[in-house]
Amino acid sequence: MARFRSLALVAGLALLGVAAVTLVPAIGQAPKYGGMLNVMQREDPPQGFSIHETSTISTVWPGMPCLSNLVIFDPLKKQESMDTIIGELAEKWSWQDNYRNLVFFLRKGVKWHDGQPFTSKDVKYTFDMVREAKEAPAKLRINPRKDWYSNVDNIEAPEPHTVVFHLKRPQPSLLMMLASGYSPVYAAHVPVANYRTGCIGTGPFKLKEWKRGEYIDFVKNTDYFVKGRPYLDGMRYVPIKDRATKFAAMQAGRLDVSFPGDESRTIAEQVTKAEPRIKLTIAAQNVNDNMLLNVTKPPFDNVKVRRAISLAIDRRGAVQAVHQGGGIVGASLAPRPHGVWGLLEKDLAQLPGYGKAQEDKAKAKKLLAEAGFGPSNPLRIEMVTRAIPIYLDLSSFIIPELKQVGVEATLRQIETAQWHPLVTRREYQAGPNLTGIGPDDPDANFYENYACGSPRNYTYYCDEQVMKLIDQQSQELDPKKRLQMVMNIQKKLEEDAARPMIDWRLLYNLQWNYVRNLVPHQSIYNWGRMQEVWLDK
Amino acid sequence: MATEPVGVTVAEVELVAPGMALRRPGLVTIVWRFCRKKPLGAAGGLLMLLIVVAAIFAGVLATHDPIATNATSTLARPSSQFWLGTDHLGRDIYSRILHGARVSLIIGLGSTLLGSVLGGIIGLLSGYLGGKTDLISQRVMDIFQGLPLLVLALVMAAALGPSVPNVIIAISIPIIPRAARVIRSSVLTIREMQYVEAARGLGVSHLRIAFRHILPNTMGPFIVLCTAQLGSAILVEAALSFLGLGVPEPYPSWGRMLSVSAAEYAQKAPHLVLFPGFAISLAVFGSNLLGDALRDTLDPRLRGA
Repeated sequence: MARFRSLALVAGLALLGVAAVTLVPAIGQAPKYGGMLNVMQREDPPQGFSIHETSTISTVWPGMPCLSNLVIFDPLKKQESMDTIIGELAEKWSWQDNYRNLVFFLRKGVKWHDGQPFTSKDVKYTFDMVREAKEAPAKLRINPRKDWYSNVDNIEAPEPHTVVFHLKRPQPSLLMMLASGYSPVYAAHVPVANYRTGCIGTGPFKLKEWKRGEYIDFVKNTDYFVKGRPYLDGMRYVPIKDRATKFAAMQAGRLDVSFPGDESRTIAEQVTKAEPRIKLTIAAQNVNDNMLLNVTKPPFDNVKVRRAISLAIDRRGAVQAVHQGGGIVGASLAPRPHGVWGLLEKDLAQLPGYGKAQEDKAKAKKLLAEAGFGPSNPLRIEMVTRAIPIYLDLSSFIIPELKQVGVEATLRQIETAQWHPLVTRREYQAGPNLTGIGPDDPDANFYENYACGSPRNYTYYCDEQVMKLIDQQSQELDPKKRLQMVMNIQKKLEEDAARPMIDWRLLYNLQWNYVRNLVPHQSIYNWGRMQEVWLDK
Repeated sequence: MATEPVGVTVAEVELVAPGMALRRPGLVTIVWRFCRKKPLGAAGGLLMLLIVVAAIFAGVLATHDPIATNATSTLARPSSQFWLGTDHLGRDIYSRILHGARVSLIIGLGSTLLGSVLGGIIGLLSGYLGGKTDLISQRVMDIFQGLPLLVLALVMAAALGPSVPNVIIAISIPIIPRAARVIRSSVLTIREMQYVEAARGLGVSHLRIAFRHILPNTMGPFIVLCTAQLGSAILVEAALSFLGLGVPEPYPSWGRMLSVSAAEYAQKAPHLVLFPGFAISLAVFGSNLLGDALRDTLDPRLRGA
């Protein structure tokens, strides 16, 4: 027995020793300064660095290093929540009057990249412009997230380093939205149009040069307000459209990190198998695949037809076929364990399109027959989608699914530049779509994508009862009660087939093993600041 | 004294020639002679025939619905169930290649015929009328011919948008100047021949001379041109589809099958790239072999070479 104990002791000590040798350098290793990071970029940023005018990660990803928010999600924490929010331009903040007033105390001595001082006027200018306040001195050309701030009554800048958001009703989620990569502060002295081609920010990196189609170069901001950051001397974002080419470049060591959301499970596994020094991190994207159905025009003004379309699409089949298993089935908020507000599996199973595929298809046929469509009078629709692989794969899956219930669908492919104006003007009948949401928060999602009149409510679904429920959950301070309300809204949205959800994509992020402190979060829109990143070379 | 009409009409004069013609050999004899003289051309013809049969009977020969996805069999290797495997969405590659043959042939033949006919008419009128018409039309053709086939087709396809009729138009436009040049050069020779002069002397209208007497004699070069352009048209269609400017998803096209997704999965499932690539190669190879042999047979300058 004694001999066994001593053996166990020796083994335990040996294990501890191994752990110490392997773990301590990783945890305790001092960050190294210097070096250039080569970053994968999907395409030239369509709106330049004007994050407030964009709905795509193609702009947020290269825009974030140059800009700063009032608050941001801790870059080193994978799971975002109210508790992981840290100050950025705001040193601290305080909720007052039972979540009706949000006061930010700003950092002093912060300078814009052109040397001008940062003050509370810049904050007021930015968010008055985004919420389209009457007194706003500037206007955005496209304003996708105007409705995030629909509850802001006014913004006050009583002194250079204090700013107050006065709300119409309590809204704790405002802080979550302000912490998203979608909420940077613009300089009041720089015309907003300048952000489409250049970037004057307060962020850790200054824009050096953007040569379209070739590279976007950043250099370290030596005046950055966080002392000792950033670690890198600079970064180069390299736009490469073709998926096979960009991952070949990564494998060859020409790129150090992949573009968030462009990596499929298959390609990530191929790359890591071919080059074991490239690390794979699986996380969430907060991006869902969905089906846009224009409810303003027949036949999708009829809820039965919408529900039939929803029932026809096999969600679990889509996860397997479109993502090779790299996705999760969920409703309008990110499913668990990645998301906080997602419906439980037992609730999902009760919703149209989430049950057994063949039974759901039979129900779809019945609903179509009730709406007057059948073999002698098939429903013919034209779908429209972006001519990029992630949209086309989804469309290729949906068309045969619809065919099985007697819906004859054709596909029109259009370029990204045409896509957003077309869906914003609702000049389409149906369209397979991807929707990304800044933070995993009901307000961010519901107000942006389902609120009556929101520019991003592409389907034009507008239900007064749902709007009331959205407002109610928004001001609910008890998390448990709010969760229940949010779940009920999600059920209602799926039953109405407001924008049938198909699945939620998983992230297969790739980084070379010498890249440190670039931590993927559960939303791709919030971890591109890069001030903590360093190279262990 | 008034001259009496000779009593011989133009139609009657034209009828003299058929009566004097030698007895033509039958189709089987022609094919047999062609096969013996040009075995490679015959092989090309056989390949094209097989592709045409596959395209016509794709619905019967296919083992699966070409657009039906199968979540449980994605990227499956070739097997008894899926003869050439499946793609990333679980679609049967064999069935997609068969149905893709339809698209390739419809677009290939459609664009070749459209381009060649339009180019032929322009070449005919340009060569026959000569003068300013010839000068202006040839300068326009020069502009079009200055751009490579694929580049011009790309520009046209991008401008018109992806659909079968648009792709046919996009590919046919670069073929027009090539056809116009070939037919014009034949017309320039033929219009100086004595029988044309004779027709002119008999008061036959220009339009009738051009279409009834000159055009039939340009058929040799025209057929050669069509077969030669068919291979290029199939290849350009594949390239356009590869670049996302061809036939829209989910309907199969060989070029699209080789496209982005296939390139992405090529390491894990090489059959995704191999089989459609093989189909394109066979079609282009077949049409080129046939075209070369026809050119050797029909072009009097190369006959017996």
